[in-house]
Amino acid sequence: MTMYEFKILADDEQIDVLYRQGVYVGKRLCNSTVMVLYQLDGFYVEISYRKYRHYISSIRCSEGTAILDPYLDQIQAELVVKKDN
Amino acid sequence: MTQIPPKSLVLYADDDRDDLMLVRDSFLKYSSNVRLVTVHDGVEAMDFLRHLDPGDPLPCLIILDMNMPRLSGKDVLIALRRMEGYEDVPVILFTTSSMPSDKAFAQKHSAGYITKPLNARQMEFIIDQFIDHCTEEVRKQIRRKD
Repeated sequence: MTMYEFKILADDEQIDVLYRQGVYVGKRLCNSTVMVLYQLDGFYVEISYRKYRHYISSIRCSEGTAILDPYLDQIQAELVVKKDN
Repeated sequence: MTQIPPKSLVLYADDDRDDLMLVRDSFLKYSSNVRLVTVHDGVEAMDFLRHLDPGDPLPCLIILDMNMPRLSGKDVLIALRRMEGYEDVPVILFTTSSMPSDKAFAQKHSAGYITKPLNARQMEFIIDQFIDHCTEEVRKQIRRKD
């Protein structure tokens, strides 16, 4: 699926596609808003929650890797943990 | 006199308070038939199970978050499969991960694997997937209308 194809889906469809096909990258807190990043095919999707895992306030997509920056610590930490195991 | 069947026991272990609340809320529709016990990590889960009275029925379902402090869901699953009486109790690993290796781990230990939902709407479907993992007899008992 391309980012364009994803963007033209209805909100619920986007969430269901992410659930079925998205790869969880990480979770962060930004001004008391929980944000979760997924990778989907060749792009990334960041979800902002009004209430975590209950209500989504916005969905942002990007094909660039800058969206990964706030999650890099988690990605690195997971790699380290995997190496240790 | 009609005897009321006992409630089915479901144990859910998760350190995330939001997820605990989400699952608790979702089980409310089955509250007349299900007793949901929640604990905060794998150690608490094992303690609860070890302290069940011999006469108590075993849980009909155990739901384990995969990443928990002290004892992970994977470690609990391994321990359960070695515990007398728990070899065949339905267990589900409930996680944000969608790693094929984690799914394979669950399968290897005869457990289900369900990805955590992104919102409350998806949780409505997941609660039914939870119950689908129970034995047929328990499924009927949980879904019966009083």
